[in-house]
Amino acid sequence: MSARSRARRTSLPLGLVLPAAALLALALAYPLGRQVVLSLQSFGLAQQFGAPPEWVGIQNYRDLVGDSYLWTVVLRTVIFCFVNAALTLGIGMGIAVLMTKMTSWVRIAAQCGLLLAWAMPVVAAMIVWQFLFDTEYGAVNAVLTWWGGDYESHSWLASPMSFFAVATLIVVWMSVPFVVFTLYAALTQVSDDVVEAAEIDGAGGWQRFVHVVLPSIRPVLLVVLLLQLIWDLRVFTQIYTLQKAGGITRDTNLLGTYIYSLGIKGGDFGTAAAAAMFMLALTVVVTAPYIRMMLKQED
Amino acid sequence: MRINKTLAAAAVIALLGVTAACGSDDDGDEADGGPKTADLVVWLNGADTPQEARDWLKTTFEEENPGSTLTIEEQEWDGLVERLTTALSSEDQTPDVVEVGNTQAPTFTTAGAFSDLTGALPDLGGDDLLPGFVEGATIEGKTYAVPYYAGSTYVFYRKDLLKQANLEVPTTMEEFVDAAVALKKKSGEKDFSGYWLPGQDWRDGAAFLWNAGGDFAAQDGDEWSGTLSTPESLEGLDTYQKLFTEASGAPADANEEDPVTPFCAGNIGMMSRPGWVYGMLTDPKSGCPDLAKQVGVFALPGTDGQPAPVLLGGSDIAVSAKSPNQDLARKAVALMLSEDYQGILAQNGLTPAKESLTSLLGDDEFAQATIAAASNAKLTPAAANWAVVEGTRVLEDLFSQIAQGGDVEDLAADADERITEELQR
Repeated sequence: MSARSRARRTSLPLGLVLPAAALLALALAYPLGRQVVLSLQSFGLAQQFGAPPEWVGIQNYRDLVGDSYLWTVVLRTVIFCFVNAALTLGIGMGIAVLMTKMTSWVRIAAQCGLLLAWAMPVVAAMIVWQFLFDTEYGAVNAVLTWWGGDYESHSWLASPMSFFAVATLIVVWMSVPFVVFTLYAALTQVSDDVVEAAEIDGAGGWQRFVHVVLPSIRPVLLVVLLLQLIWDLRVFTQIYTLQKAGGITRDTNLLGTYIYSLGIKGGDFGTAAAAAMFMLALTVVVTAPYIRMMLKQED
Repeated sequence: MRINKTLAAAAVIALLGVTAACGSDDDGDEADGGPKTADLVVWLNGADTPQEARDWLKTTFEEENPGSTLTIEEQEWDGLVERLTTALSSEDQTPDVVEVGNTQAPTFTTAGAFSDLTGALPDLGGDDLLPGFVEGATIEGKTYAVPYYAGSTYVFYRKDLLKQANLEVPTTMEEFVDAAVALKKKSGEKDFSGYWLPGQDWRDGAAFLWNAGGDFAAQDGDEWSGTLSTPESLEGLDTYQKLFTEASGAPADANEEDPVTPFCAGNIGMMSRPGWVYGMLTDPKSGCPDLAKQVGVFALPGTDGQPAPVLLGGSDIAVSAKSPNQDLARKAVALMLSEDYQGILAQNGLTPAKESLTSLLGDDEFAQATIAAASNAKLTPAAANWAVVEGTRVLEDLFSQIAQGGDVEDLAADADERITEELQR
């Protein structure tokens, strides 16, 4: 190989990666930098409209950490995230496996249904869900009452536990299709020979699944889990809409809605930025083990 | 290889260029007042402003200012503070003229979001403008917003239902509460409301708080703090809880946005709503004209038989400080305060922004109730950060939790803490 072609090999990728890198720098580094700066300032509504901000050092962080409410919200967010990610992955895995057993036209029908659920814009879907769970005129209450339950005028969003149950249902419903499609694709790549060999060696259905199928789709599983964790940590629209439909805002805030209520609603952008930094750190901490596992796998 | 590098660099520059082009603005205005012609954007909130008024404003403005256009964009009241916070701070996105709730205005005036209208005040109506509204939008002698309309809620009731229950129109608070409870008892239905009071509706709940002598917050020197735990406030909140649990069939966690559906389902005996809701009830498409014929109205009575202190509702209009079309925006504001425009609002049950135009309301039952309700109406605390208290939904949380049967004393103490925290920031 000549020196010339080696040089080409090293510089072409660089050229290809530069535009993307520049875009990333613009789209990520600027907002992030701005957020760090904001979190060190006392930045309120007056600053939003042009008054010079005042530097306050780490005061915003100190206020936040000293407020027990932040820790309540963090704990709530982490629990919500893990429960939702686990449910989504479990249900998604179940449906994906089921799909490998379906005849093709049933599978296509199932895929269409999932695709429609997935393609539905969040806000439109939220309106439908709100109608379903409406206290006075909701279909859910009507059906449960018809079955003999005492659900007339039952407020689904009033108590925090039931609020989060509804939120979980919606979030899981929206995320399952992605998991199903990805895992189904991975499952079709599992070599039949290996599964058959295991069967001949006497492995039962469950054993084949745990010891043969799961390890072969592990890389995909890890990526899906990682994405799901990140998405469920940042969940915002569903919670925000449900809070407006009912529910006690303070008892149902997750980090996303808490930051929004500090900043946009409360007009305290400095503290909101500090809380957002906190959320970033939390995301890194929660996802770090999975990223490490993924990196190890690539070695 | 060199070509590759150059290409890559060109690609980067192109990308940067595209983004830069997005951010550049293209207005080359000559004076401070902005260009002679422009496409003006006016934000109006909710269904309050009747269509007739909107059409009149658009046509008249475009006739008087050839070459310019005026577009009305309807915003939802819910979440308005958030939307204004983001939109008003951006020169590219800001609407030129905005309607803002009279209790929300101080937050934006103190932040410098609105243009100073002091100079234009005499032309817009001067002393004739509703004084409480002008005061609320004035800081350090400068006025940043003008009244748009006022309107306090009064009580709509079903004449037939009151008659069936052998009840007279209540003349004191005590009679009112008793009548509401009696109506509910008579019906026996779980979702029937003797008095319709959705749990998040603190704006109508406020009347019971104030009637008992309580308030949300009080000023001591420079500091504001929550006063929901005073004995008077607690008494008022107890009345609210009683009304909710014994007279209302509305959900504890719903807001007051849609009274039409339950009313037209025959599930409401009495409810506090602004006058323009009557138009929605009589509408053949969305309302129920037959039931609406049974509607009578009265101003909520206080303990002493005089009208109770209800929330002085209403709106201000203001010009966005970042709008490049200051002069044209002021012209639109002037049109919205003109007798023609205000007359249309008055016909629809909204109290005009000028005192001299009150007669436009007429003198039927509705006009009398409007005027009586306004006679003792009260504003939310005049603290600079009050809109933040509204924005963070402290009061929706409080009233909804009381409606769910929570301990009033504990909940009031918690809410006080949060209100104090927001107001002292």
